[in-house]
Parts: sequence; C-alpha cells; structure tokens
Amino acid sequence: MMADGKGWLYAPAGLKDGPLPTHYEPVESPLINRIYPAQQTNPAAKLFHRPDNLYHAPGDPAYPYVITTYRLTEHHTGGVMTRWLPWLAELQPHGFVEISPELAAEKGIQHGEWVTLTTARGEVEARAVVTDRMLPLSFDGRVIHQIGMPWHFGYKGIARGDVANTLTSIVEDPNSRIHEGKVFTCNIRAGRKEVRA
Amino acid sequence: MMSRPLASEHPTGPFYRTLPPPTMHEAALTAGVRIEPGTTYGFFTDTTVCIGCKSCEAACKQWNQNPMDDFGFKGTSYDNTGELSATTWRHVAFVETRIDTNGDHRRDRTRWTFMSDVCKHCENAGCMEACPTGAIIRTEFGTVLIQQDVCNGCAYCVPSCPFGVITLAEEQDRKAHKCTLCYDRMKVGMEPACAKACPTDSIQFGPVTELRERARERLRFLHSRGRREAYLYGVPDAPGAAGGVGSLNCFFLLTERPEVYNLPPLPELPSRRAGAGFLTATAAALFWGAVTTAMILAPRREQREGGRQ
Repeated sequence: MMADGKGWLYAPAGLKDGPLPTHYEPVESPLINRIYPAQQTNPAAKLFHRPDNLYHAPGDPAYPYVITTYRLTEHHTGGVMTRWLPWLAELQPHGFVEISPELAAEKGIQHGEWVTLTTARGEVEARAVVTDRMLPLSFDGRVIHQIGMPWHFGYKGIARGDVANTLTSIVEDPNSRIHEGKVFTCNIRAGRKEVRA
Repeated sequence: MMSRPLASEHPTGPFYRTLPPPTMHEAALTAGVRIEPGTTYGFFTDTTVCIGCKSCEAACKQWNQNPMDDFGFKGTSYDNTGELSATTWRHVAFVETRIDTNGDHRRDRTRWTFMSDVCKHCENAGCMEACPTGAIIRTEFGTVLIQQDVCNGCAYCVPSCPFGVITLAEEQDRKAHKCTLCYDRMKVGMEPACAKACPTDSIQFGPVTELRERARERLRFLHSRGRREAYLYGVPDAPGAAGGVGSLNCFFLLTERPEVYNLPPLPELPSRRAGAGFLTATAAALFWGAVTTAMILAPRREQREGGRQ
C-alpha cells in the first residue's frame, strides 16, 4: 500500500523486486516457470544455504507433492494460545493433513490413520483426513497432488500434533521478509514416523 | 465468629445493589428485541449463511462454563464435537455434500453444508412430559429449562427427547443438562451467548412469531434466487413439527433432507406410544391373571383320579 492509501500495481520505488508484479514459481515447485523458463524463482528472494535448511530442486522426484500450510478457524492467534484453551482445543484436538482420495489410494492411506510427511528438513506424522475437498491438479498431462497441513499444533498443550515448521525451509520474501511456509514440496507415506534412537 | 447471612436473604443488601438494574435491555442493541416475560423466545438458525466458525460452540461453553468433553480426533470433516450432550449445548455439523461437476476435474467436487444444532425448546417437550420430579419447567420466556437443584438424575428425559439433545453429565453431577436458551442472560435483558457471537447472523434470536415471519421472508428470497431446495424445519405444518411435538421454538432453514443434518424427519413424542404399551400390558395382565385363576380353581389331580375310582 502506498502513501495515498491505495495499492499500486506499478510501484516505481520502494520495492526490491518491482516495479510490476509478475509470476515466479516458489523456490520448491514440481514445475518449471512457464512465463520465464530461464528464471525459475524470484531472483531477489533471500535464501539461506545451510546444512539444516536444504532446498528441494524444482521437479525433485523424491518430493513430488505440493504442500500448503494454514490456520483453522478455531485457531486463535498462535498455537500456544489455542492449544492450552480447552474450549478451543476440543474443537481441533489433533494435528492432521488433508489429502485427496486419489492420493490416498495411490499411497495406501486410510482415512483417520497415521501418515508421515518428509522433506529434506525433517519428518512429521499426523492423522490423514481423506476428503473430496482436496483436488488433484493437472499440468501438462501430469497429475500433481496437493496436501494441506494445518499448523498451530505442537508437542505440549491439550491439542497436540507434530510441528509443521519441521517441514518448512527458510526462504524470505525480499520486501516483507515473510518466509515461504505457504507452499513447498514434500513426500508422504502411510504409517507413523520412525523413532530414532 | 459471627455467622454471615446469605446474600439471597438480603434482597436489598449490597450484593443486589451491584447487579445491573433489570431495566437494562442489551438485547435491544444486539438483537433489536426487548426481552419481556410472557413472550415466547427462540432461535431461527439459517444454515445458508453459516460459515462453520464454531463461535456459537465456544461462546456457549464460555458463558455457561461448560467443560471440554469427548476430546479426540473424530475425522468427520472439521467437526470434532460429534453431538449435543449435557456439556455441549451447541454443535456445528460439517457435512461434505457432493456436487455434480459434469466430469470437469478442475471444478470443486464438494460443498460444505453447516448446521449449528441446539435444543429445540419444543412446544410440547418430551423431556418435560417425562420428568417425574417437575425439574423441567416452561419458563416465562417460553423456553424449556431444567432446574438443576430439583433434578435428581433419573435420566427419564434422556430417551424422551425426540432429538437426542439431553444426556447426563456423567463426569460432573450426574444430572441432566441442556441448553437453557441462556435463561440467566435473558433475565437481565441480554440475548443468548451463541446468537450474540454468531458473526453472520446465522443464529437469530427473538420472539418466535417474529422470527417465523423473518424466516418466511428469507425463504421467499432464496426461492426467488433459485434455491428451490430451501425449506423451514420446525415451523407449524413443516417437517420437524410433527408427532405431537408441535412447533419448535428453535427452528431451522435447511437445504438438504433433515437426515443429512442428523435431524429426525418425523420426530415423535414417546408418550404417544405409551397408550399402545399400556393397552398391551393391561391385556397381558388380564390374560395371565385369568390363566392363574383357572389353574387355582381347576380340580386337583387326586380329586379327578379319586372321582374315577
């Protein structure tokens, strides 16, 4: 938003990746950028190349699924406030991921059972909610499955579940430095995660 | 030590002076209605504008200080409440309804249908009929209320509710509890907590006669916009107002069959079946009574055999 109180499509100053909005693929994506095949992601995005913050290459076959994270309506501000309040915790008592019936059939996942999600950063387990609300996406004749994972769950409190931040990588938006936890890639399998000794 | 009298024994004491004056009419500001004894109040729940936020559930539990109950992941869409109970007086159902996509795989295949369920405060309440202690009464606001100090926890009301609203608070006082339509709030001119918290006015509070007019107007509007499947549940001469229950003070605007929302299409008062049961029991008693009498009065075997010799 600019000083006149309006949002500008053409912003000649003030933005690190202006002056016009355009499309880049997320840092982790199963597809190549159709608009700029030579520039897959935002060149101004801040990346952190560290051994505990590995990124998946575009189209990495080890992590073929798109995952997005979100709050639920029942979640009040942050996880700490929500998880400890019984009246809110009982409305969403456990961490879960939402997947389409097609992906569930492909991976042998039963509704309500445990699934494990993996990225190069870590591994989390959650209950599977198999629902028609999740639609497989079609691109270039390929079917790309999307997975939804509500966050605000944690290992302490009344409503518990694995932490979604275990999966995400740190990528910062060049202007607001909000990190790209809304979309990345992952893999999924039926069953609980392995307990490491 | 000096014994202190109870506050209730001193209606002019300092405790009463701190209460808000009964002339306060907060509901006039929040629901456009002044709450007066002698008028029948209820809810009109319009499911077409419900967004499934569960604000009514949380607001109800907070005002009535009801505890968390039946905790656990249920896997029924986003609904982890399940059903109404002694400690859950509002329940939002999440029904995933399939949509015909005409084979277009890019279009949404489902639509969410929400409904916030509550005690219906029936015109002829089954729970009130069944209550042997007189704990369940009709209040001055036309609502059905369980007096918790009179209830003895016999649970006769539990199977007598055609809608399955009441249960016993097994982990607390083992007495029957249900929605009071926020009797304590109405006493001081406040609208019930759920209706006040509802952000889309899916739950509307007011005098039942006025709400029915509002509901019929809304129904006409929906029909004129092509939502022909919309109908009212629980108003006179409509589904839900059957089987001796009469009309429901808390009624609904629905778009699917009642069963989809776990509502009975034809609720029935259990007392309606009592007549047939009573007749059957009387007939059985008479029959077995006659058999027993015949056996006692019949001549004994030795008498019969002795007669033959």
